[in-house]
Amino acid sequence: MNDILTQFSAGIASVSERVLPAVVQIRNGRSGAGGGIIWHENGIIVTNAHVVSHRTVSPQTLTVQLADGREFTPRLLALDAEHDLAVLQIEAQGLPAIAVGDSQQLKPGQMVLAFGFPWGVTGGATSGVVIGVGTQIGDLRSPHEWVAASLHLRPGHSGGPMVDVAGRLIGINTLMNGPDVGVAVPVDVAKRLVQAVYEKQRSANLPATPSANDKPNIVMV
Amino acid sequence: MTEALQNLSQSMAGLVEQSDGKVVCVDARQRLPGSGVIWSADGLIVTSHHVVERDDQIKIGLADGKTVEATLVGRDPGADLAVLRANATGLTAATWVDAADLRVGHLLLALGRPGSRIQATLGIASALGGPWRSPSGGEIDHYLQTDVVMYPGFSGGPLVAADGRFAGVNTSALMRGVSMAIPSGTIRKVVETILTHGHMPRGYLGIGIQPVRLADALQQAVGQETGLMVMSVESNSPAAQAGMVQGDVLVKLDGAPVRHVDELQVLLTGERVGKALETQVVRGGQLQTFAMTLGTTK
Repeated sequence: MNDILTQFSAGIASVSERVLPAVVQIRNGRSGAGGGIIWHENGIIVTNAHVVSHRTVSPQTLTVQLADGREFTPRLLALDAEHDLAVLQIEAQGLPAIAVGDSQQLKPGQMVLAFGFPWGVTGGATSGVVIGVGTQIGDLRSPHEWVAASLHLRPGHSGGPMVDVAGRLIGINTLMNGPDVGVAVPVDVAKRLVQAVYEKQRSANLPATPSANDKPNIVMV
Repeated sequence: MTEALQNLSQSMAGLVEQSDGKVVCVDARQRLPGSGVIWSADGLIVTSHHVVERDDQIKIGLADGKTVEATLVGRDPGADLAVLRANATGLTAATWVDAADLRVGHLLLALGRPGSRIQATLGIASALGGPWRSPSGGEIDHYLQTDVVMYPGFSGGPLVAADGRFAGVNTSALMRGVSMAIPSGTIRKVVETILTHGHMPRGYLGIGIQPVRLADALQQAVGQETGLMVMSVESNSPAAQAGMVQGDVLVKLDGAPVRHVDELQVLLTGERVGKALETQVVRGGQLQTFAMTLGTTK
């Protein structure tokens, strides 16, 4: 009987070990800190809009601290206040990116874990189960879908990852709805925002009108 | 290392999926709807009494997305249970665990359907015990307390054991701030009584009462500090027939002290109806004992 409990406990610890290198702390000079997630090894970080765009915060005062202690000043690539998401870029390569999961596949009752920096504590692991995914969570009604989980999010969890038991990102912790419900932005919403950032970057690199001096950029299909 | 964890997580999600069809949305109050459990394939639904605030225009949301009308068959406020009949057949009835087989520490899922989709949370059996009486006078076959968080709309939904059977109907209203479940034994009894009588029989005496402090000498003699003074007696009521008069102070009924109004209320149960109960009153400063046959409300 204790065997399965030991395995269960070791399993949780092992998910934490896998996820925590991809969790960054985002500080701004004055008003505390939140979490962020390394989305891509090339320095793309996803977090909450409210972590980086509080009215007392300007992007210049932001610091991203990696799990290995290195610190960077990020560039803000995209802000989506409606979904409480932001995309940052830091000048680094080869970072330990999180495995990105699929929030469409989430089922009520399945286990999830959340990480962040509650009260500045690194990690801040908390676990629970998916209550449901939808636009209506208890008394909260919203035009957007959210993931609700039976775990305890604290202010510093904002912007940190919510993951499944395989350590895959399924949501970005965003708010507390009472003491007993943790609410996250579904990862699929973040995927769309990051995709939009990539497409904008790609089109920005294209010349407005081809000139004779441009290298040919013709793709044969 | 994470294999046990993944298996557990998948089992829990699987349990929710497997239970989905037996959990309904009960729309019978102004605010957020509550949940209910399918008791029989021909449409009987059990839910929490406090979820059913109106007696008509009750709507049941099924797992397949259909909404059907339901009528109130009866309720037992003491056990916070209500029985509805939904206009549907061919439903999947829940199967139940005997509460005696539960142990403290067992994993339990609480399910709810306050909207169209099933919702879930996890907890354990926190405290178990034998028969008990709820503060509102319900007789419940087993004490079953959990640590599940009762999210809005979860009342009336099932508590699910690890083998997929239902261990009870969750309620947050029976004891304030404590998550309790009404086990299947009590649900079965309430459903059968309501189907037979159309309601839960409650005892009726026909007196208006008020708690009063007994004189010092009487406190010693009776062994209690307070009793219930009879302020009015309805004519032809069981109390009138037993000779009870205004000014009597009721101190004991059926051998149990009645120091407060709720102590009397919990004695007025269905199974005492029609029985001659030993009744002790203070009348003119003297203790008197006589028999009083408990009537019933209709």
